[in-house]
Amino acid sequence: MKLSKNFTNPLAANNPVIVQILGICSALAVTVKLEPACVMGLSVIFVTAFSNLVMSLLRNGVPSRIRIIVQLVVIATLVIVVDQFLRAYMYDVSKQLSVYVGLIITNCIVMGRVEAFALGNKPWDAFVDGVANGIGYALILIIVAFFRELFGSGTLFGFDVLARFGYVNNSLMLFPPMALIIVGVIIWIHRSINKDLQEK
Amino acid sequence: MAINKNSNVYIITYTVVMVVIVGALLATLATWLKPKQDANVLNEQKVSIMKAFGEADASFDEVVTMGRIVEGEFVEVDKSDAAAVQGVFDLLGNRKALGEATDNLPIFKFEKDGVEKYVLPLVGKGLWGDIWGYVSLYVADAKLTISGIVMDHAGETPGLGAEIATPHVQGAFAGKVLFNEAGEFAVRMQKGGAQNEHQVDAITGGTKTCDGVNAMLESSIGKYESFLNTLTEAVAEATTAVEQPVEENNNVEPENKEE
Repeated sequence: MKLSKNFTNPLAANNPVIVQILGICSALAVTVKLEPACVMGLSVIFVTAFSNLVMSLLRNGVPSRIRIIVQLVVIATLVIVVDQFLRAYMYDVSKQLSVYVGLIITNCIVMGRVEAFALGNKPWDAFVDGVANGIGYALILIIVAFFRELFGSGTLFGFDVLARFGYVNNSLMLFPPMALIIVGVIIWIHRSINKDLQEK
Repeated sequence: MAINKNSNVYIITYTVVMVVIVGALLATLATWLKPKQDANVLNEQKVSIMKAFGEADASFDEVVTMGRIVEGEFVEVDKSDAAAVQGVFDLLGNRKALGEATDNLPIFKFEKDGVEKYVLPLVGKGLWGDIWGYVSLYVADAKLTISGIVMDHAGETPGLGAEIATPHVQGAFAGKVLFNEAGEFAVRMQKGGAQNEHQVDAITGGTKTCDGVNAMLESSIGKYESFLNTLTEAVAEATTAVEQPVEENNNVEPENKEE
């Protein structure tokens, strides 16, 4: 019961992007097209899941005075692993994502979950928490990218969708401010459904 | 016996062990993936060269002749000689060495429908970092003309300087004549809009990057100037020969004599 709540909480009620407002920077940068957004989402899921798992396994041995450094080393290692694999097997996408793969290291969601959850919980719980938070982040990225690619380029995953209906691409959708506006709209809709999240 | 986890000895040992493990792990991974990553980079170079030729669908390995310019002369690189081919691509991949090279310069030749096109590599500095690319040249009306260009950048500002990597900006270079009447290098991205057959519209808000592109074109193409001049001279001689068949009696084919 607790485990399933661990998993579902970060997807909606406590979503890292739209409730905790973390990781917004990369959400603006990599959501022009669906493909890089999906790859970025998967990369973050991998990093949050395994950094949580590793830190939870190490939690009893880490000297508390250097625990932030240890966390950073673990996270940075995982990010480099992701980056190297992308360069080898998904070269085009890795070029589109450019520095943003490396910047996963600085994504507050990753370190936030390690610090707040993994250091105080058992490995399996921590792993699930990491996966769920990664998915929560990826979901928002994919929703934003869906609208930006559809209305900005008239395509989805590169396949022509709207152009055949005579749609003229709205290049405003391709600029970062539009990602911020879409995230804002998602937050608005989310909070009007979950009234308990509204600040008084 | 409980270990004191906040003692200096424990912390230092912990750090050392951690760094050694992580270092070994990453080094192994990088070594293992390196060949695959290199293949991707090589393939990208070939695709860029074909794009500069305007033949994105053709296979580099089948249609392109590789060469080096040695003291103004075209020297073919044998494509079956793997080490020589690798040498060319290594130089293309090493932007610093390529920028400093003054001789033994890489060049690519592609012939289609009787038109010879040459692709030269470009390297320069944009506003924030390196910019590079390939330009394809051919002789039209006895003038060296750009047939196509591809450019890329390490970190120019998206929407401004980074526009140099878009087909929209690159397309504007096609048909531009390299040298003006006075024989000076004249292709440039002109602030305020192109004013003659040599110029291309600059990018609003990307002036520094455009300056970098101008410098890159002039310095990179300039190194090939003596070779490029031989191309135009060859065409000019051929033209004179056709136009003045009487004076050039000895060298001209019999059919031309009749005219």
